[in-house]
Amino acid sequence: MGALRAGVKVVTGYPGTPTSGLIDFLLKLELDQNRFVEWCTNEKVALEVATGAAWAGQRALCTMKMSGLNVAYDSLISVAYSGCNGGLVIYVADDPGTHAGMCEQDSRGFALMADLPILEPYSVGEAYELVQRAFTLSEQTATPVFVRLVTAIANSRAPVEVESSKPPLERKALLERDITKYTKAGSVICMAQHQDVIARLEKAGRIIQKMCLNKLKLAPKTGGIGVIVVGGVASYLEEGIEIAVRSGCSIDSLSVLRVVTSNPFPTSEVQKLLHHCAAILVLEELEPYIEQGIYIEAQGSGFKGKIIGKIDGTFNRFGEYNAYHVARGICASLNVSIEESDARESYLAEQQAVPRPITVCAGCPHRGTYLAINKAIKRLGMKKEEVMVTGDIGCTILGMNPPFETIWNELSMGASIGLAQGFVYSGVETPVIATMGDSTFFHGGIPGLINAIHHKVSLTLIIMDNGWTSMTGMQANPSTADAFQQPKSQRVDIAKLVAALGVSHLFEIDPFDLVGSTNAIQHALDLPGVKVVVSRQECTIQAMRRGIKAGRVSIVPENCNLCKLCLIHTGCPAIKIGKETIVIDEATCYGCGLCVEVCNRQALIIEGHS
Amino acid sequence: MSYNIYMVGVGGQGVLTIGDILAEAACRSNIPVNFYPTKGMAQRGGSVKAQIRLGHEVVGPNIPTKSANLVIAMEVSEALKAVRFVRSEGEVLLYGWIWQPTAVVLGKECYPTLDQVQKHLKDVGARVNYINPEDLPLFKDSPIPGNIFTLGVAIGNTRLGSFLDSTVVASVVNDRWGGEGDRNNFALHSGLCSEHENEH
Repeated sequence: MGALRAGVKVVTGYPGTPTSGLIDFLLKLELDQNRFVEWCTNEKVALEVATGAAWAGQRALCTMKMSGLNVAYDSLISVAYSGCNGGLVIYVADDPGTHAGMCEQDSRGFALMADLPILEPYSVGEAYELVQRAFTLSEQTATPVFVRLVTAIANSRAPVEVESSKPPLERKALLERDITKYTKAGSVICMAQHQDVIARLEKAGRIIQKMCLNKLKLAPKTGGIGVIVVGGVASYLEEGIEIAVRSGCSIDSLSVLRVVTSNPFPTSEVQKLLHHCAAILVLEELEPYIEQGIYIEAQGSGFKGKIIGKIDGTFNRFGEYNAYHVARGICASLNVSIEESDARESYLAEQQAVPRPITVCAGCPHRGTYLAINKAIKRLGMKKEEVMVTGDIGCTILGMNPPFETIWNELSMGASIGLAQGFVYSGVETPVIATMGDSTFFHGGIPGLINAIHHKVSLTLIIMDNGWTSMTGMQANPSTADAFQQPKSQRVDIAKLVAALGVSHLFEIDPFDLVGSTNAIQHALDLPGVKVVVSRQECTIQAMRRGIKAGRVSIVPENCNLCKLCLIHTGCPAIKIGKETIVIDEATCYGCGLCVEVCNRQALIIEGHS
Repeated sequence: MSYNIYMVGVGGQGVLTIGDILAEAACRSNIPVNFYPTKGMAQRGGSVKAQIRLGHEVVGPNIPTKSANLVIAMEVSEALKAVRFVRSEGEVLLYGWIWQPTAVVLGKECYPTLDQVQKHLKDVGARVNYINPEDLPLFKDSPIPGNIFTLGVAIGNTRLGSFLDSTVVASVVNDRWGGEGDRNNFALHSGLCSEHENEH
């Protein structure tokens, strides 16, 4: 809503928890004709589209999760060097506590490395305001600006008073030819641009100070504690102080600096705090970037007091902060011991909760692909432990878990093919298989496949094409059927693309046909060179939402002896154990028929399968 | 005024839906609210939790331990994950649904008993209010949604009812599903009118 209010013209991104909601939300709105909102094939492409628009003078917003920033960064640092004309805002969210998996990285490091300003809201309402400020700052300094959230705030919903959105600002597309600004060809150009980007960050610092984005509140008395709260952690301050008071802290001279911009460093506010306080407490999730800056400023100003944070060992560099971190920090500053509400014993109950390993949904087509891979390996006389199956990002990784235990590893988008090639080169004598989903293939898999084709590597790539980017909440991607694409978008056929790359051993399988899929994969594993198997069925969640079912499974009671073979093989959540036979939960069963195929007593039948 | 609701369950049970309804009802009542749903792999039979914080203009989305006034647990084993968050004398609505993971069905993992779960909750001073899914009334001979029934119990039988008016909650439910004659409307009112005594 902040971006709409700022008159943004182009919004791009790649889905990733916890930032997917932004574009998902915009796509549900009725947007102006000349406003472009889209999911791109990957974050780097998304940033490049947004950059093109910003170079042409328009306002553009680009969104991604922290892992996506790794992908986009290759272009981003170059954009930082060149600067921009229209406002360019990069909306990224980190995931302290890793609620959504992946590395617990701190995106502020990228802002530091690229000399880009970064704004960190502490509430939903402030996020709305800061996105608008970020566009202003970006245009005033001609530099891209980050807005960085953490999961707890990115996924939160709260009432915010919003103003009506503005249509995209009326600006004629600018065609500015300036090779010293827009290329990197030559040392002179690059050195000049490096100086420019540093100067732009300094300018941003002056503007941010005028905007009073970082909030300093000095206690009337000097000699107290100076608390520095960074970004989202500030939302816990009030509650943390209450806990500290309950624990016996007497808080009469607390000064607070709420840091909204980790970069540029809020030097002036920090200096004021150091001169006013006897001890400094830094409350900052993940990396101690601000804290390191405090040490430097303290050295310069002759500050001799305690600095409490991560560097002195009070806090860790991992995990999410809450009110207890605030309280612990204040207690440590005052040498008071904290009330033990977050003690180890309180986790005892939680440890007795039954584990729920994530698994594929009832009717998920990936189930059939994992079963077929496992069967093909067995038929070739090998054990699962002897065949490397590299994995990739997205729902397809769920084949790592029981009952399949097919997939061995996971690295980054599209990495399974390169990894597989490395295993082949290392001398693995059994077949090597790479697996990935459709969106992952478009995102980062294609270069790996071309590399394997180019170097004639003997490996089998299995693309599980379910037509949606499912793990992140069912976004359309290039493989989505035309009927469900956004207007003005069209489908790109993976099989045609793979064939065009020169793969001669290309198989298309239906994962609900276990016999046919197993035969095809077994055949592929026996052949030399690059083989590609495209396993195709639509994501069941999406199909079921449209009221579609593949068939209807019923039980032949006299044949079922409750051997549970169906459950052991498929692990399908739609199979329940009844008193004398298994029971199929009709509401969740999609009718994929895989349980029918693995049953050896004809105790299950399927109707309606084509 | 400040009131914290910690909600747990399994993906598919509608935990986030009732969180959404409560947050919307708070908005309509001009009560400041922060609603923080954590989905994880919700659609994949995974754990789901949601946190609602009422009464603060700015508040950390995560409820500190021992600070939840109300816990709504929609699944027996998942309730254990809320134990450390409930405050002493806090109320717990324990919906007695059991969702066994495959490993339990195959005898590879143990599922905690209802007594064990209740004991853990009572040990931290919680007032547990057990809802037996088998006691839910039927609507036109079909089962009613347990999440909306539990929402009704929360408004009608816990202190949450003094912050959120049942008519406001009903209006949110009706706006979603069409009001009288709808199973959700029936489920809400059944929950509101049901008598669930706190067990001490």
